[in-house]
Amino acid sequence: MPVLQPPLPEDVVTWCRHHLGVEDVPLEGPEVPRERLTDFARALKEQHHFWFFVYCAAAHFPAAGELPDRTLVAYRVRRLPHATLGRPTQTFPFRVWVPTGESSPSLAGIWAGADGQEREQSDLVGTVFSGHPDPRRLMMPDDWPGHPLRRDYAIETGHFPWR
Amino acid sequence: MAVSAAPAVSSSLATRWTEVGGVRVPVELVTPGWPDPHMDLSTYDPEADLMALNMGPQHPSTHGVLRVKVWLDGETVVKAIPYVGYLHRGVEKLCEKLTYVQITPIVDKNDYVSPMMNELAVNMAFEAALGVEPPPRAQVLRTILAEIQRIASHLISVGTWGLDMGGAIGGGATVFLYCMRERELILDLFEELTGGRFHYNTHTVGGNRHDLPAGWDRKAIEVLDRIVARSEEYERFLVDNPICHQRARGIAVIDPLLAMECGASGPILRGSGVDFDLRRDAPYAAYDQVELRVPVRTEGDALARALVRIDELRESARVAKLLLQGVPEGPICALKPVKLPGAVKLQEGEQVYVGIESPRGELGTWLLANTDRKLGPHPYRLKIRPPSLHALSLLPYLCPGHTLSDVVVIIGSLDPILGEVDR
Amino acid sequence: MIENPWLHGLVLGLVVVAVVMGVAAFSIWYERKFAGLLQNRPGPTEVGPWGLGQLIADAIKLLQKEQIVPAAADRPLFLLAPLLVLTAALVPLAVIPWGPGLVGADLHVGVLFALAASSLMLFPVWMAGWASNNKYALLGGMRSVAQGISYEIPLLLSATVPIVLAQSFRLGDIVAAQEGLRWFALWPPGPGTLAFGLFMATALAEANRIPFDIPEAESELVAGVTVEYTGMNFGMFYLAEYLHTFIASALGAALFLGGWDMGPLGAGLHWMVLKTLVLFAGIFWVRWSLLRLRSDQLMELCWRWLVPGSLLLVMAAALWVHLT
Repeated sequence: MPVLQPPLPEDVVTWCRHHLGVEDVPLEGPEVPRERLTDFARALKEQHHFWFFVYCAAAHFPAAGELPDRTLVAYRVRRLPHATLGRPTQTFPFRVWVPTGESSPSLAGIWAGADGQEREQSDLVGTVFSGHPDPRRLMMPDDWPGHPLRRDYAIETGHFPWR
Repeated sequence: MAVSAAPAVSSSLATRWTEVGGVRVPVELVTPGWPDPHMDLSTYDPEADLMALNMGPQHPSTHGVLRVKVWLDGETVVKAIPYVGYLHRGVEKLCEKLTYVQITPIVDKNDYVSPMMNELAVNMAFEAALGVEPPPRAQVLRTILAEIQRIASHLISVGTWGLDMGGAIGGGATVFLYCMRERELILDLFEELTGGRFHYNTHTVGGNRHDLPAGWDRKAIEVLDRIVARSEEYERFLVDNPICHQRARGIAVIDPLLAMECGASGPILRGSGVDFDLRRDAPYAAYDQVELRVPVRTEGDALARALVRIDELRESARVAKLLLQGVPEGPICALKPVKLPGAVKLQEGEQVYVGIESPRGELGTWLLANTDRKLGPHPYRLKIRPPSLHALSLLPYLCPGHTLSDVVVIIGSLDPILGEVDR
Repeated sequence: MIENPWLHGLVLGLVVVAVVMGVAAFSIWYERKFAGLLQNRPGPTEVGPWGLGQLIADAIKLLQKEQIVPAAADRPLFLLAPLLVLTAALVPLAVIPWGPGLVGADLHVGVLFALAASSLMLFPVWMAGWASNNKYALLGGMRSVAQGISYEIPLLLSATVPIVLAQSFRLGDIVAAQEGLRWFALWPPGPGTLAFGLFMATALAEANRIPFDIPEAESELVAGVTVEYTGMNFGMFYLAEYLHTFIASALGAALFLGGWDMGPLGAGLHWMVLKTLVLFAGIFWVRWSLLRLRSDQLMELCWRWLVPGSLLLVMAAALWVHLT
């Protein structure tokens, strides 16, 4: 059965194809190269009016085959209904792959809401966001070992550093 | 029903509007510069004798276990940093080990003031990934429950805000207890429907679990009528009360652009003059069957947010009553009744995001389903997008310049639920 | 009465203190029942008939509790403050006339003495705030001093109105001047009534009651100056607050409502007590239905409106006396 998700906004998809040079923009958003992420995000906000920051979510993928240990950072931004064009509210997702040990540029300078969200994801999943203004842990205590939402942070092995 | 031509602005401040990226925002609220949330205190007046004060996590007015570290110059806040995580229960990690059916009762505890909304948000994400559409009766039922839950949640929000301003031993407690009295009626309704007063577990993948008992709709309409009649009391308490005006008028005026950037939505955004409501602008469940009047205020201050909540409460009652009068017949779940926890399988490996309008704003669920059959029918990663966390990220911008007494009013007007902030 | 004035004062003083302490303790039950009524709930019901034993249970509970002195607190000051606060709250009782001749010490400067003694409460409150070595307590103490000093002025000035009208500082004379239901709260219609309202409002502020309870302000300062106190030390602050409120009501009744005199209905202790309790209930009513002001708004209210207003009232009262 097909996934029930609203289609991505046409104009942004067209711009994405042109800007990123990708053939196809899937429903879960284009993969943006890390070095172009900041420009891409700024253009989304300023040219396409995606002012509203929805989420930043990271998911850890352990090394499999020739793919390295990496995290997927998924962002989603929203634009509110256009007052004059009659355009409904639309969201636009984009994704970044961050190999473990490397970092992805922080978007906190573009959307103020990305600040807390990136802190949360780097705390729980361990993704490093370079240039983050306040890279403290958000949820876990400062001296907590490991990042709980990584797939290798095993529940079964009793890795419970409770104090 | 894309954009309403005339927003239901009910405001004394007749405003001029400007358009930012197609969004109409009041001119008065747009401020050129925002305070720096990561302000370096060494750049502050070296003559000043700053005092750092930890409010929370054990503090009566931080709505649970929020901790705010404020630096005070006299009684004026220079910098405020919210610390969260004291209620972190690892719900997202837990969800990676639970099946889709088992997740519903777990997320009940996230936003513990409106559990129905959490269930709805995750189940809608599962349905979207599964490609299942709930039957019409379930859609209407979900909408009714969501609206009644919104009333209960706003009652708590307004009541505790009164508590923040008036103290637990004083007038604030009075309005709080009045609100609790009405919320009790709603909890009784839910208890009759689902058997639980908190852990409803009534939404499930593909529909609902509990059908309406006989006579429930009549009783619900009675309760809603009573709450609407009494909501006048709260409005009088807030609006006709000069002390409340003094305390909340002009406090923590939120720039709508900042609110959008921070991802704060719901009453916070609507209190700042942005006419945006996911129920109307991106309808889900049965919201496309009703015409929703979205209350918007243009003052952008703490009082405006509380008044938006009261207006919303009445609007929710109206919508719920409207839908209660015509609940379609039919099944309440699109799937077979679930016998085994692992019966619902999502093996396609899709990412979905579904956002719904919770009482606090956009409550979203980002779901990454398993692609690997070996890992079983669990989400690979489930991220809940809590509106309260985004609302709290506004706090460092709002507090500087206000006094310590205002900090609690600001926190109360943002209405954070720490259960969903920390998850 | 007893012939020896010393013995008279001592016995009467002890009786008054004992009775008033009892009444203040009882008033806690009274307030809780009252608030319950206001908030659609029963209030205390479990201990004794109508929950009347609640205050005894509370007292036993408070007495049983460990008295914790924070390690970094200034120990002597910390332990002295609750005693002083209770003393300061009790002292004004000496001059309050409960009935004809039923007064501990009918001083020539009775009103001044009562107000001066009750304003002494500021010192132990500030002591507690300082000695607790807690930031919340410190802020509460500072607020308390600022508020106390500010509200002292309109309180004294509004109490000056009946003094001017009765042309005496002696509380007995003031009550006598209102004989025959010529209450100062009613009679010179302008200054008297306004001064009564002002007196009660500033007394609320002096007693740290909502809407002026910013020194305690439990929604932001947790419990203000009492945040570090446990057991009976806290109980003494609590009791002193009620005593202070009670005495303010009694002063209000004597200064503005004719004290023990009830015109054609006779005179006696019971009228004084009744008037005091009515004012007391009025204070509860205000407390349980209003919100709290912010500290800067409180100061603004005092210095911008109450001080000039009370000065005008004194002048108006003087004019009234001059013209009649």
